[in-house]
Amino acid sequence: MLQREKPVLDVAFDVHPDPDEFIRAAMEWHFSPTTGSPFWLERAKSLEFDPREHVRSFEDLTLFPNVTNELRDVRAQDLIPQGYGPHPEVVGVFESGGTTGAPKRVVMLRDWWDRMMAWQVAHLHAHGVPRDRNWLVLIPSGPHMAGELTRRQAAELGGLKFAIDMDPRWVKKLIAAGKADEANAYAEHLIDQAVFVLQTQDIGVLMSTPPLLERLARRDDLVELVRQKVQTIEWGGAHMDADSRHLYRTEVFPGLTLDGNYGSTMVLGGAAERLDLTDDDPCIFDPFSPYITFSVVDPDSGRKVAYGERGQVVMNHVSKAFLLPNNLERDVATRIRPLGGQVGDSVADVTPVQRFDDETVIEGVY
Amino acid sequence: MAVAAELPALDALGPAGAYHARERQTITDVAGNPLAELSLVPSLFVTRAMAALHKAATMPVDERLAALARAGDAHAMGSVDGVSPADHQFIVSRCSGMPISVVRSASEAIARSAAQAYLSVQHARPVGAVNHWRDPLTRTGRAVWTRRGDVFAVHAPGNHPGVHGLWLEALALGYRVAVRPSRRDPFTPHRLISALRTAGFGDDQVVLLPTGYDTADAILRGADLAMAYGGEDVMRKYATQTKMLPQGPGRSKILLTADVDWRDHLDVIVASITHEGGRACVNTTAVFVEGDTTPVAQALAERLAAIPSLPPQDEHAVLPVLPMADAHELERYLLAKAAGTVPWLGGDGVVDELGDGSAVLRPAVHELDRPDAEQAGIELSFPCVWVAPWTPEAGLEPLKETLVITAITHDTRLVDALVAEPTISNVYVGDHPTYWIEPGIPHDGYLADFLMRTKAVIRD
Repeated sequence: MLQREKPVLDVAFDVHPDPDEFIRAAMEWHFSPTTGSPFWLERAKSLEFDPREHVRSFEDLTLFPNVTNELRDVRAQDLIPQGYGPHPEVVGVFESGGTTGAPKRVVMLRDWWDRMMAWQVAHLHAHGVPRDRNWLVLIPSGPHMAGELTRRQAAELGGLKFAIDMDPRWVKKLIAAGKADEANAYAEHLIDQAVFVLQTQDIGVLMSTPPLLERLARRDDLVELVRQKVQTIEWGGAHMDADSRHLYRTEVFPGLTLDGNYGSTMVLGGAAERLDLTDDDPCIFDPFSPYITFSVVDPDSGRKVAYGERGQVVMNHVSKAFLLPNNLERDVATRIRPLGGQVGDSVADVTPVQRFDDETVIEGVY
Repeated sequence: MAVAAELPALDALGPAGAYHARERQTITDVAGNPLAELSLVPSLFVTRAMAALHKAATMPVDERLAALARAGDAHAMGSVDGVSPADHQFIVSRCSGMPISVVRSASEAIARSAAQAYLSVQHARPVGAVNHWRDPLTRTGRAVWTRRGDVFAVHAPGNHPGVHGLWLEALALGYRVAVRPSRRDPFTPHRLISALRTAGFGDDQVVLLPTGYDTADAILRGADLAMAYGGEDVMRKYATQTKMLPQGPGRSKILLTADVDWRDHLDVIVASITHEGGRACVNTTAVFVEGDTTPVAQALAERLAAIPSLPPQDEHAVLPVLPMADAHELERYLLAKAAGTVPWLGGDGVVDELGDGSAVLRPAVHELDRPDAEQAGIELSFPCVWVAPWTPEAGLEPLKETLVITAITHDTRLVDALVAEPTISNVYVGDHPTYWIEPGIPHDGYLADFLMRTKAVIRD
């Protein structure tokens, strides 16, 4: 039986619980011997503080060490809070991209999945994503969250999802080995498959990553098909700068809606692009607060940078289903003032820092 | 930000005209003062620009040659985008730290290259090949000289504005050209491409694509053929790619054999080291001496020590200037590498601060004790020379991997060997500086060797 002793953890997606009350309830849930996960109960023994006593607000989440790397080895069942009872409803086990070594794993539980989905669908409606249109999705499938997420999104909006299989780890391996030609061939293989779906099916929504969108934009035949059929392009998984967004909207796919997503497996979801941005605004992402929260910090001092300044993104996931606080990601972003009612920061221009030269070259005249 | 907003904008020059990007980089002078805001285009812009170049038609040869000549004139002597040559040269000098007299000569050299581009490329055409299939000679069968592709890309360096004279040959041959500028001198290619457009080249014939590092390769990928400048790393990266022409280290050298008196050639040796600010790949990196190296090193040190430290915009400036931090980094590198050699000049350091955040790099002379000392191959971007002993027994080995060698010798068998050596690009015999070049003379082979091929044609 699902224990329902913490109603503040069970509110509807569009209700904003009081942040401090929410945090205290979550700490109580995750660190109580009867409801907490085996992973956190064991981990709590080596913490230098008592989360139930000392973590009273979102600011206090910084007391936690970053345990993200431990998710590479932990037994997945041990991540499930015992409060869900002996037969928790699991949507899936999802893995990180695997950029650096072994993948990290999270367990997606039904109640969180439904809440996040409700929030996302509301967002898609707000952005004018059409109903009853089919989706063509070129993003990582397999053990990655994105594939399952888009399947559900398409269904919620009344469409079918057509998928192209994509293995991001293989691409990263090829690039790391300097096999640019093979990585290129793989990406072209993905685009080739999109042709068949776009030619034969009624596709209204295209979901992909900015690098694949750019590849697609190089092919005149595909650009023409997208212009004829697609109304909304959903993108995520990589950075899109304001210049590129403007080029897509005005030159490549005039009249189409572009809607960005910034997600991470480690927060079991992510952030959605803010509505009504101007052409000159960067792509701003607002997280699904208070469950998913960001702060943009100076990695050396750990302090928040000023609004408008660049810093590294710290992510927190706090929900009934999962706890992963104080996770310093490798992403660099601009800190943006949040909208009313949101806990933590919004972010923009999530990217590695733009570099003009690779490094200082000393020898030689060039 | 208020200050930055007033800076002159250096837009990208795309296939549909100038493009002012939201992503910009502030270009500073050697003292760190902002000079301009350079638009950085995203990868999507690059791929679309390269596609537009592929779609564009080639201009008729007469028109492009006339436009090239007009553009060269305007670049060196006219007003381009409202900027006079003097103002342009001042900014290039302040930005790159190159002595202004060198910048001015480079402008003139670019104008000469533009005017003579056709003549220059014709030197590379095989004697058996004609320029067009309509040539009457093809009626009985003939080779026709044709392009290997249509779109040529250049990753330009910022060490010397004169490098932009070379890719004009690609335009002369009918290529569409994309240039990625260096942040150390985006001004020269911007002005030159603006001038080319005013002179008649369409926006889809020649583009300037400033990009961040991560996007730079997209320009090369989008081209049929490309040229990139760099050190050993760039050479290695592109060594196996047939569509790439990497332009690597020069490591130019002077060889003085025992049958000549080096004192008669001191002017040429000093000039070979210091001309072009000591920053070109054709500047002498090592002097090999058959006989006693010490008096040569001593004489060079004396002459080079007398050169004054001046800001780059000074008419009398000879030495290059860098931002202070970069200068000190270069100095640390030199001092570490020079360990174990005999310093005649610059042994205590080469940085002479100008007090405004920039610093002159003063000449360095080090004496080596073996022909095969590794230092002789260390090329630095200021007048820095290694004086090494050479013997006939040491032979060609220490003289290999060289862009230009000036051999001051009467030994014609040695000259035979130098000319035959595949890793030596140019051989100048006698009293000729290593930086000597003229239109029609190959710099590192003819560029047209790379851009063109022959094709058999016979017709009724």
